[in-house]
Amino acid sequence: MAEDPKIEFDHAKGEKIPHFRSLSGIEYKRIYDREDWDGELPDGGEYPFTRGIHEDMYRGRLWTRRQQSGFGSPEESNDLLKYLLRVGQTGINIDSDIAGKIGVDPDYPLAQADVGLQGTSMCTYEDMAALFKDIPLDRISSTLIFPPPASVVMMGQYMMMAKAEGIPRESLIGTMMNCPFTQLVGPTFQANTHFFPIDLALKIGLDLMEYLIPRCPKWNILNVNSRNIRESGVDAVQEAAFSLALGSDFVDRLCKRGLDIDRFARRIGFFSAVHLDIFEEVAKFRAMRRIWARQMKERFGARDPKSMWFRCAVQTSSLTLTAQEPMNNIVRAAVQTLTAILSGVQSVHTTSYDEAYCLPSEKTHKLAIRTQQIIAYETGATKSVDPLGGSYLVEKMTDELEERIWELMKVIDGRGGFVECFKEGWVEGELNSARYKLADQMESAELPIIGMNLFRDEETAPDIEIFRQAPDMQAKRIQYARDYKKGGNRESARIALKNLYERTRSHADEDLVVPMLEAVEARATLQEVCDAMREATGFSIPG
Amino acid sequence: MAKMGLDAHDNGLRIVSKWLADAGYEVIYAGVYNSAERILRMVIEENADAVGISFLGGEHLHYSRKLLDLFRENDLKDVKLIAGGIIPPADVITMKDFGVNAVFTPGTPRGEILKHVAACLSVSERVPS
Repeated sequence: MAEDPKIEFDHAKGEKIPHFRSLSGIEYKRIYDREDWDGELPDGGEYPFTRGIHEDMYRGRLWTRRQQSGFGSPEESNDLLKYLLRVGQTGINIDSDIAGKIGVDPDYPLAQADVGLQGTSMCTYEDMAALFKDIPLDRISSTLIFPPPASVVMMGQYMMMAKAEGIPRESLIGTMMNCPFTQLVGPTFQANTHFFPIDLALKIGLDLMEYLIPRCPKWNILNVNSRNIRESGVDAVQEAAFSLALGSDFVDRLCKRGLDIDRFARRIGFFSAVHLDIFEEVAKFRAMRRIWARQMKERFGARDPKSMWFRCAVQTSSLTLTAQEPMNNIVRAAVQTLTAILSGVQSVHTTSYDEAYCLPSEKTHKLAIRTQQIIAYETGATKSVDPLGGSYLVEKMTDELEERIWELMKVIDGRGGFVECFKEGWVEGELNSARYKLADQMESAELPIIGMNLFRDEETAPDIEIFRQAPDMQAKRIQYARDYKKGGNRESARIALKNLYERTRSHADEDLVVPMLEAVEARATLQEVCDAMREATGFSIPG
Repeated sequence: MAKMGLDAHDNGLRIVSKWLADAGYEVIYAGVYNSAERILRMVIEENADAVGISFLGGEHLHYSRKLLDLFRENDLKDVKLIAGGIIPPADVITMKDFGVNAVFTPGTPRGEILKHVAACLSVSERVPS
């Protein structure tokens, strides 16, 4: 345990950083030259897409400004969405509270203290309609952050809402995240396996993808949350290898269902973290594009170039935020946002500086959007495709990361793929080792963090306004869920739930999406739908 | 060592649990998704001296109050409740006022946590069974 950060700070000698390793442990050379890279690059939009998936990149169209948002009740979140769109957000990214993701209603005892805290409280069709009130579903793309089986319930509610508004489902634009392994605090085992049988969740996720492919041709069927993987403490190589291996597992399973890769691969995306090691991160995204393109083409036989696109949304890292001197986080997020743009990503959430303490307020959300707008319009970073391409350093780093990522993917493949690695606990072991290592690096200041392990100022209290929820929000939502389930004619919901129960009990190998959607249409709540399947499989949840 | 309710952000819980184990303490890792009642049962069954709870999403006031109430009702007033995680400064004061033994927010050095735990457990009147 280091009592003193390992930093040389001597006015006579000048200041020096502690080492020259990247966040993933790659040693930066003093200088890079032709010896390191003397290759050729494809054009923008040309396989294997090292320089970006589009020929013109941001010259043709800027990235989507998509801030993850949602808190309290659906009505409050609807106001927030409208505010964000007014100040310049160009896409929606809805986060529900945890209850919504794991498939319990606000009145479930263990959920009550968490209702609406980390996202919008959602459990009924009426909640979905209130959340998206006055939002044009065929003109603004929305990402809905739900793992299966909740993803099916929410997709059902979303399609019902579109129908009520006269919007054909063929016109819906957006994404259902739909991954059962990464949506709850990365691929940690306990978080993702305690509220639904994991194999059944995966199967239902695939059922939903298969359902959406022909019916909602503009809708994205899966997004692998690479960011949550990274934020659990692993490095850039692990983040990339884990998420690309997991993405490949899904593609493999869809192909084995007899689906044509060129009908669905373009509708799979990734959501990555952007960390602070600028050149390693740029190299990571470039390497991920190459690897995904090769996987799709060579392993799965894709023919359409769009099937080979590694499309990537990002959010700047929350792990790098400090509670000490929170305003410093504005600088970190700005650097990371610029890094994302230099990497050629498709959409960005700039994390607000107050997220080291609480959900972002309107004020800090706005600052995050402004950060992106300044980079887009004022810096010139958008005016050429792949502006760092051809840099000896970046090209060498891209090659090196690509090699390391492939190597780790081979290890995962040798263990039966990511899903197997998750289930047997290998992933959990890797995450924990990474976390302990990260804690050591933070402690010794091998990972320098200004204001925390270096240049710490104990004298000044943090200057931060804390976002507060309405004091009666949780009580109201709990009462709402209780009343909803007691009220009105619930006979059709009961019949649909009974049918779903029977179907899961005796024919779980067949499609479960249709009977789930029937229950949603009959106004069953989120937990009622999930409970029917839990009961059918004898699965009990923490209480 | 536990996370309460539905929030499963367990980076901090994992790391501090390891720090305590490495320092020689017997750590019972209750993991995520705990109710206050479950922790109470574990404290009684395991004869725990202290409970560490970690928060991120804003549930800290609810669960620390509830746990302390349960400790009082069950004559476990000498069990120390120590909290950690993302907790706003004003709430740290509130929690200490209503009886949370210590609150460690992000960036607290390992040494500071271990020093506090050592001090508070050495004055504990509980006798290990």
